[in-house]
Amino acid sequence: MSRVYDLAVVGGGIHGGAVALFAARGGMDVTLLDRGALCREASGVNAGTLTMQMTRLALIPYALKAHAMWASARDWLGHDVGVTVCDGLSLAFTEHEAELLTARAGKRREAGAPIEIVSGARAQAVEPGLSDKVLLAGHCPVDGFANAYLTGLTFRRALLEASVALREDTPVLGVEREAGGFALRTLAATIRARRLVLAGGVWIEPMLAWLGVHVPVKTLINQLAVTERIRPVMRTVVGIASGLLSLKQYPHGTVVIGGGWQGIGDPERGGVELVPERLIGNVRLACHAIPALRGARLARAWAGLEAETADAMPAVGPVPGVADAFVCGSVHSGYTSGPYVARLLVERILGREPEMPLFPIERLLGQPRPGITAAA
Amino acid sequence: MSRQADLIVLGAGPAGANAAIAAAGAGLSVVLLDEQDAAGGQVWRAPWPGLVREARSSEARDGDRLRARLAASRVEALFGRRIWSVTRSFHVDAIGPGGNETFTAPRLVAALGAHERVVPFPGWTLPGIVGLTAATVLLKSHAVLPGQRVMVAGCGPLLAAVAAAIVKAGGTVAAVADLASPRDWPAATPLLATRPRLLAQGAGWVLKLAAGRVPVYFRHGVACAEGSGQVERVTLAPVDADGRPCGGVATVIKADALCVGHGLIPGAEITKLLRARHVYDRRRGGWVPELDAFGRTSLPGLFAIGDGAGIGGAASAELAGKLAGLVAAKDAGALPADAFARMAPPLRRKLGRLSVFSAAMARMMSLRAAQVAVIAADTVICRCEDVTRREIDAAFEAGAREVNQLKHFTRCGMGPCQGRMCGDVAAQLLAQRVGSREAVGHWTGRPPLRPVALDALIGDFDYGDIPIPEPAPL
Amino acid sequence: MMIRLQAGTARPAAITLLVDGSPLSAPEGEPLATALGASGLLRLRDSPRTGAPRGAFCFMGACQECLVHVDGIPRQACMTPVRHGMVIERRGMP
Repeated sequence: MSRVYDLAVVGGGIHGGAVALFAARGGMDVTLLDRGALCREASGVNAGTLTMQMTRLALIPYALKAHAMWASARDWLGHDVGVTVCDGLSLAFTEHEAELLTARAGKRREAGAPIEIVSGARAQAVEPGLSDKVLLAGHCPVDGFANAYLTGLTFRRALLEASVALREDTPVLGVEREAGGFALRTLAATIRARRLVLAGGVWIEPMLAWLGVHVPVKTLINQLAVTERIRPVMRTVVGIASGLLSLKQYPHGTVVIGGGWQGIGDPERGGVELVPERLIGNVRLACHAIPALRGARLARAWAGLEAETADAMPAVGPVPGVADAFVCGSVHSGYTSGPYVARLLVERILGREPEMPLFPIERLLGQPRPGITAAA
Repeated sequence: MSRQADLIVLGAGPAGANAAIAAAGAGLSVVLLDEQDAAGGQVWRAPWPGLVREARSSEARDGDRLRARLAASRVEALFGRRIWSVTRSFHVDAIGPGGNETFTAPRLVAALGAHERVVPFPGWTLPGIVGLTAATVLLKSHAVLPGQRVMVAGCGPLLAAVAAAIVKAGGTVAAVADLASPRDWPAATPLLATRPRLLAQGAGWVLKLAAGRVPVYFRHGVACAEGSGQVERVTLAPVDADGRPCGGVATVIKADALCVGHGLIPGAEITKLLRARHVYDRRRGGWVPELDAFGRTSLPGLFAIGDGAGIGGAASAELAGKLAGLVAAKDAGALPADAFARMAPPLRRKLGRLSVFSAAMARMMSLRAAQVAVIAADTVICRCEDVTRREIDAAFEAGAREVNQLKHFTRCGMGPCQGRMCGDVAAQLLAQRVGSREAVGHWTGRPPLRPVALDALIGDFDYGDIPIPEPAPL
Repeated sequence: MMIRLQAGTARPAAITLLVDGSPLSAPEGEPLATALGASGLLRLRDSPRTGAPRGAFCFMGACQECLVHVDGIPRQACMTPVRHGMVIERRGMP
């Protein structure tokens, strides 16, 4: 097969899927490869939170744009992923948390996020299911959430409709540079493309190594849990000032509990084991915030992956020293900001000036390996 | 505040209780956990506490004997414990009467038994329709008849047991429908001959049903169940040797209860959760852990025994339990090698003699592919989430090639039963398109092993006690 | 309707529980699903998407079909021994 694609994207999560989609719509002949099925890693198993209140300061302008994209997913994705736009509350139960919240919410508001600080009573008016013990809350009227496990199905349809050559269950073993582009070695064949985007999430480090570029990327193992369907107990998306809780109830009645409590796993095996005390700690926070949850039963828990660079900022832009190669990933709150960041990169690839700056990775070269997060 | 032991045994049925007793007898400190109120599992389930039954069947006596042996042993047997998490190597979390408890041991025996398989048919979710093992629980352990006119259908040894038990208790069996033919029973006779008591029981049920003037429809399956709010009528249709409808006269039976079952599925949940190696073995009920001759799995220190490790029946489960308990004690250095060399071979010989019989019984209960293939499109497969066969087929069309992806596409398996009721049939439906059961895999094992009340999980706590890590960078 | 066997069987004294506001009598400690079945109450809840009637199916705590509200908390009826004064609600969905 001597077909040479305009673009090969390695990694079929939110970032890779969105890059492939927008590139195809921009007129490029695109192939997307993933060692498994689409959106089955971080993108398929995260908490689905779309919130301004846990977004890194520098990413807020991007999150605002991305939020608008998710709310209108039918327009660019062709189908919706169960996005609910609703009020978001970030809670403070102690004086320390209240200080933290006020400082952070203030900074986020300055960066453009529509967050205001409200009293516990006002927060309860917004969220009748809320605990009486809330001192202060950050309130954002346009937070929300999506249904992460629907992402794969939805992207698949959109990518096929856009004539992207989908290669699922196709691990890429290595990449060589050739005259005119890149040769991607897979078990069945060598795939050739003029340009390359590495969108491998927690596997970006070994992918960049194919090109001789070394950027250490840490893998976080985030624990998540879901209840069985229960009567409506909340109507907002809830977090805590420390960032260690995410809580929402889906229209069909289940409540998803998250917040970044660390489980056990690695990029090779995924999230393999949950730490029971951490699950209990996470669930305690949830029940403290929404007391009615105590009457629910936990149906399922799992651990998903998240990638993080040394400075916890995205790795999005050209690969230094390798013409026509790009990287897209390690975006904190990657699910929220992913589609917009991907669209910016595609603008760049198509030769246009992106409307917001990318996140060039020169800064990450030669960094020491990121340390273990100070998780409990 | 974790309880330490030399060995933790999960499940107090014939396999688990015997493993615990044998290991404790050899000098290990053993904790045995079970969710029920007493040992016995499902096959030797005790009457509910407070219910007294005078006439005790041979099975009931087997159960009483096991419970007596356990009480006389040094096993710390804790009942009413819902196990929800098991991690390496090994920590167990269980919700008990006082809230969450944790246990630690270097060795663990998984003996969770089996649960039933019902191949769906239109109307199978109607109230009044219960499984065959459910029926045995109602009859033996609750002392109730499932209904006034009970239809009994399906396949395997439980079919006979349930029908005979209802007649013996003075109830009315509207009819019995067996997927097997009368010739299938004598074909099993040489094998049943190794188990004389069961042979007598097997022959006895035919006589009992004849005496009770119960119509028996061999080579018939349930075409559908109907009723307003609960089952009122069951339609039987002739099937071929594979369980496929083959035309012919359908028969409508009036019944206010239907007891139906198509075999047993091993509850290999602990081994899947801990990611031991598994193999798909249709005759033993589906995905089972890879085991050596002593019940050791591919994970050091983890044993799996009894029906939970592969369908084989109570007699094999008892022996496998005893053997695993001794092996665990030997591995732990408590049982000297020469003592083990004396005690193990007789158990292994008995297991060997039983293996042909237990294999034959398991075969009678294994999944019939054709029966699954003909399930009507609008039939609910996943009861928890109301997912129909049509939706599973559509998921394949949309690209789902293994069961975890199927779950994401349809919500099949995401409900509170955690895929126990639908998993085997859903995987079979997908496998029929993809090509093999191995290719479509099994649900990834995840905690909690059973749904747990958040209230019980969190207990009493102070907000300040929750170990909240450093907040993420801004 | 499930039928309690009487011959050769002894049960604790009857207690009263409330089911959807109406009193129901059952021997203390009997599993709730059986107590309800013996009173002809086989329908325990409705399925989540179609609202179809559902009742206890496996009687061993596996299927989760017998979920009812016991004193306000969802519990599996087949695993819940009845006690005097229990308040049971079959709340429909879910």
